Amino acid sequence: MTPSTAGTVWTSASLLERLERRDRFAILDVRNRDEFERFPIEGRERLAAINVPYFEMLELGGKDEMEDSVAAYAKAHLAGRLPADHPILAVCAKGDTSEYVARALRRLHYACASLQGGMKSWGAYCSTRAVAETSDLSIYQIARPARGCLSYLIASDGQAMVVDPLRRMEPYLELARAKGLAIGAVLDTHGHADHLSGGPALAAATGAAYHLHPYDAIHPIDLVPASIAYEPLREGQTLRVGRRELRVMHVPGHTLGLVALRLDDEYLCTGDSIFIRSIARPDLGGKADTWAPLHARSLRRLLDLPPAIKVLPGHFSGLDEAGETGLFVASMGELKERNDGLLALQRRNEEGFVRYLIDSLPRFIPEYVDIKRVNAGLLIPDEEQASTLELGKNVCALSQAYGA
Amino acid sequence: MSQIFDRVLDARGLNCPMPLVSARKEIGNLEPGQILKVLSTDRGSVADFQGWAKVAKNVELVGQETETMDGASVYVHFVKRAS
Repeated sequence: MTPSTAGTVWTSASLLERLERRDRFAILDVRNRDEFERFPIEGRERLAAINVPYFEMLELGGKDEMEDSVAAYAKAHLAGRLPADHPILAVCAKGDTSEYVARALRRLHYACASLQGGMKSWGAYCSTRAVAETSDLSIYQIARPARGCLSYLIASDGQAMVVDPLRRMEPYLELARAKGLAIGAVLDTHGHADHLSGGPALAAATGAAYHLHPYDAIHPIDLVPASIAYEPLREGQTLRVGRRELRVMHVPGHTLGLVALRLDDEYLCTGDSIFIRSIARPDLGGKADTWAPLHARSLRRLLDLPPAIKVLPGHFSGLDEAGETGLFVASMGELKERNDGLLALQRRNEEGFVRYLIDSLPRFIPEYVDIKRVNAGLLIPDEEQASTLELGKNVCALSQAYGA
Repeated sequence: MSQIFDRVLDARGLNCPMPLVSARKEIGNLEPGQILKVLSTDRGSVADFQGWAKVAKNVELVGQETETMDGASVYVHFVKRAS
């Protein structure tokens, strides 16, 4: 990519493409420092990013108009820091300020584009890819790249089930419409802590049943029952989707009601148990000591499944966990050999593994308590509160996955 | 409890960066010691006015409030021209 073809605006879709291709570009993030640190853009490898809040450019550039100030500031302070031979992406919260910044830098002959809709759009953006696509069985992975959330639409014979739907339901409705599928079931593998579930709303919009394990219909910290309507899941139960059947495995640990969904010996939706690089943390209910041994036993049970079974995880920690196809999928056999958590599990006895889990806990995210309340119907946020709660990348895996 | 002010800038409905750009221009029309009250519907303006006041030599942020007007949250900033 030469600077002249960088364009003036990048959509979230085009940003994702460039991140996946490992294109060379620099980021000029003009949000305030807190926002930049809490929620940066991350790629398959480390990105060159400069953070200068727009109000600093405005004030220190010293002109009346935004664009003039940015140009003056960049000339005086950014000359040696901005790349001349590859594009720059200007990033702000909602995509307006970054346009002024990009225009000012183009005036100085930099190839600078603005991220359309800013971090608000990037944070909500979902991309859909087919894992399998036949009339007997189709599986689509719907990823939210900025947050590391994964959800699935599983279809057979015109019928579809959506697993762990994200807050905005358009990707699922559009996919079902495009493929001529009827969404007959919606399922959350567990009560999510890191993102707002789209489950109850999607079920209501499509007339589908909403499935959840009853243990996750109690807020683990408040000890208050959920006010949402749900069909209780149980161990061993089968759920039919067209010509195929999914078997429910109750695998408590990350939450008490976590379930995995097994599609014969072919696929396993692991929810928040086994990810690609790591495994889930057991402390988000505030009871790591009692939940960690359950987690250890559940993981062992999953590890004993046929090695060819393909794991469809609920999260990723970095875009580099995807294969070249962009899909976050790997066989259990592969993961046994390269997943940090599963390697630890195979090398230790239960006591040792529990100690490993407790020693690997990342920081507790206070917002997660409220997110669980929202997902249980115990708290109703407005749009602004909802997007604030969901700001930043998920921290559902052990800290190994974050290079911390 | 209500903050004294000399002028009002209604930046409701304006997107970032306009509330701050307009406030900065308006401050130039004030006498040292006078206070500008800025109304904004942009939630991001709360942190941004704080950050701006830290780098701008001639302004001081003397107060911030959130009010509800016509069912919407309005973020109010009181900015004093210091010199």
